[in-house]
Amino acid sequence: MWHIFTIIGPGAANTVLLTSISFAFGAVLAIPVTLATRSSFLLLRGVGRGLVEFVRSIPVLVWLFIVFFGLPQEGLSPSPLVAAIATLSVVSAVYLSEIYRGGIAAIDRGQWEASRALGFGRLDTGSRIVGPQVLRVVLPPVATYGIGLLKDSALASTIGVVELTYRANTETQLTGKGLTVDIIVGIIYLLIGLPLAVISRHVDSRLRAKFSLT
Amino acid sequence: MACLASHRSGESSNQRVLPTWWPSKRGPRVLSEKAAEPAVETQLAASHISKYFGGNKVLDDVSLNVRKGEVVSIIGPSGAGKSTFLRCINFLEVPYEGSVSLDTLTISVVNGKLRNSGKELAALRRKVGMVFQSFNLFPHLTAQRNITLPQERVLGRSRREAEQRALNLLRRVGLEAKAHSYPSQCSGGQQQRVAIARALALDPQVMLFDEPTSALDPEVGTEVLAVMRQLAEEGMTMLVVTHEMRFAQNVSDRVLVMVDGRIIEEGSPDIVLMAPQQERTRQFLKAVLRE
Amino acid sequence: MTSSVFSGWGQDLPELLRGLGVALQLTGLALVLGFPGGLLTALLVSRRNWLAKLVGLVIVEVGRGLPLLVLLYLVYQGLPQIHLSLTNFLSAVAAFAWSTAAYSSEMFRSSLNALPNGQREAALASGMGQVDTFRFVLLPQALRIAIPPLLNLAVQIFQATALAYVITVPEIMQHAYFLGTVSFLYLNVFLLAGVLYAAVTLPSSALIAVLERRLSRHTSV
Repeated sequence: MWHIFTIIGPGAANTVLLTSISFAFGAVLAIPVTLATRSSFLLLRGVGRGLVEFVRSIPVLVWLFIVFFGLPQEGLSPSPLVAAIATLSVVSAVYLSEIYRGGIAAIDRGQWEASRALGFGRLDTGSRIVGPQVLRVVLPPVATYGIGLLKDSALASTIGVVELTYRANTETQLTGKGLTVDIIVGIIYLLIGLPLAVISRHVDSRLRAKFSLT
Repeated sequence: MACLASHRSGESSNQRVLPTWWPSKRGPRVLSEKAAEPAVETQLAASHISKYFGGNKVLDDVSLNVRKGEVVSIIGPSGAGKSTFLRCINFLEVPYEGSVSLDTLTISVVNGKLRNSGKELAALRRKVGMVFQSFNLFPHLTAQRNITLPQERVLGRSRREAEQRALNLLRRVGLEAKAHSYPSQCSGGQQQRVAIARALALDPQVMLFDEPTSALDPEVGTEVLAVMRQLAEEGMTMLVVTHEMRFAQNVSDRVLVMVDGRIIEEGSPDIVLMAPQQERTRQFLKAVLRE
Repeated sequence: MTSSVFSGWGQDLPELLRGLGVALQLTGLALVLGFPGGLLTALLVSRRNWLAKLVGLVIVEVGRGLPLLVLLYLVYQGLPQIHLSLTNFLSAVAAFAWSTAAYSSEMFRSSLNALPNGQREAALASGMGQVDTFRFVLLPQALRIAIPPLLNLAVQIFQATALAYVITVPEIMQHAYFLGTVSFLYLNVFLLAGVLYAAVTLPSSALIAVLERRLSRHTSV
């Protein structure tokens, strides 16, 4: 039975790769999206919000299919992995931008005002005063989203990325032992997500000790 | 000390006769008659109540016998255990040991475990009404429904009967107009009066008041205290934890002073509040009256 | 290029709408089973009895911790291993209901915990029993708090029905893929599918936001 681990185990590497790369891209891409949705230019804000609402209203699987099956129609033929990373990056950028937005809104307006009154410019206020506080506030929901992204990475199996769920499927088809395989795969997903939850709680309490008034 | 000088016995300005258009237990009573009341046997008895929070003994073997129709005020510094003691009487807090008897019903606790069934406990709670500092009205129900729900579910009264009684009680506390309002549409004082009506709807034999006016502005608190005073004059047995010294002085038959989980002084309001025996009581009163 | 991204939408739409019907059925059944299941699970998790707590926690942690796709496979491919087999539609219902129960149980639990203790105390102090207290005082208030997140969960479950494609349930994606294999205009048909999902999701989310504002009027929180 243990040989199952060695067969589907390598799939876990791809899962982690897929998740972390998409998450990294998404976390960075979310910043301009957030800024757009908070911009004072009506047009920019409208485009930003429109994009966010549109992307969120369509299931991730559908986006995956649009990118992987649909783009070749227009000349682009991404590999399964590239398609998966591109799609998940954009989707996570959109969802994370909403989390960032909530985090910024949660920081007391007084922080902005006090900082500007002291003479700090917009950029400095953003990066040195409000930014670190926003970081502390958004960390828990961002970590939760990260774990959610880990689970969404399973969808990549449907377009042929050889990650954990894909290998589980092939193994089930070979041996017919669907229950065993899926239980093991489930455990592996839980195990991968565990360190993320632990690290995030640890970092959160460190930041809390450094920064907060509460 | 002069502010507590208005007292009860004999002054004609204090003689009040209640209007008879609401049902009262013993008919119209004159306040000054209370002093001449013959001794009645115990109605409610709390015996040897002890409670621990963590390692601290917050109630240290507290016992109290209350006569029918008696109004007892419990005063003392914060953290003395007054509210905890009150909440032990209807077992919202379960003491480590002790018992509570109301007429023939006794509920007891040994080693932190209740010795009676849930049914018996519910029977006790039916006869003991409670009014909370934070009112605790059900916000999703109108004032009238707040009062009819316990009647229907606990006493099994019909919807019609419950509504009739609810309206009578609301009239009695002066809030008939608010029958179909939600708690969020009522002021604090109004909410507390509705809460009193809700507790009275079950025809309790004893009413417990846990700092009923502490969450209210002084002005607004007066409305509530007036209702409580009426209740007292009608002969309701009342146990009141309060910081309102004037109420304790004018309306109670007995005042208890609790400090550090124990009753350190007990007696008629005139003595306890005007000429206390214990130094600790004197300390407490001096601090309170500084306001 | 003569064909645009929208061509073929007219012919594809009727078939996709059939898929939408199945998706909505799937969602409805998952919620009808999953929400009460979630409430029960929330109560299980809150009990002091260790066995009840364990069962509840397993339902929640597995239902939430595993990717929905794996849950689907688990029910569809896994059960036959122990000689239990459900049709693909029922497997999908079971998996989605489990997921709904897992996520909604946390919403029920936190909404019940958000209520002030005084509510329970006032009800008990009048002699009301535990069941009556829960039914008339606690649950109505908890629902007012929980309904917006629960409805958002419902919308997410609807979106998740796209996954049922992998076990060949004839919902939207299944039809879309088939149409794509015929016309080779995959982009067109999947975009149309996306629009269908958005057409249900966007108005629903807007309505939920309105409901949320109205509900926060009569709460003690």
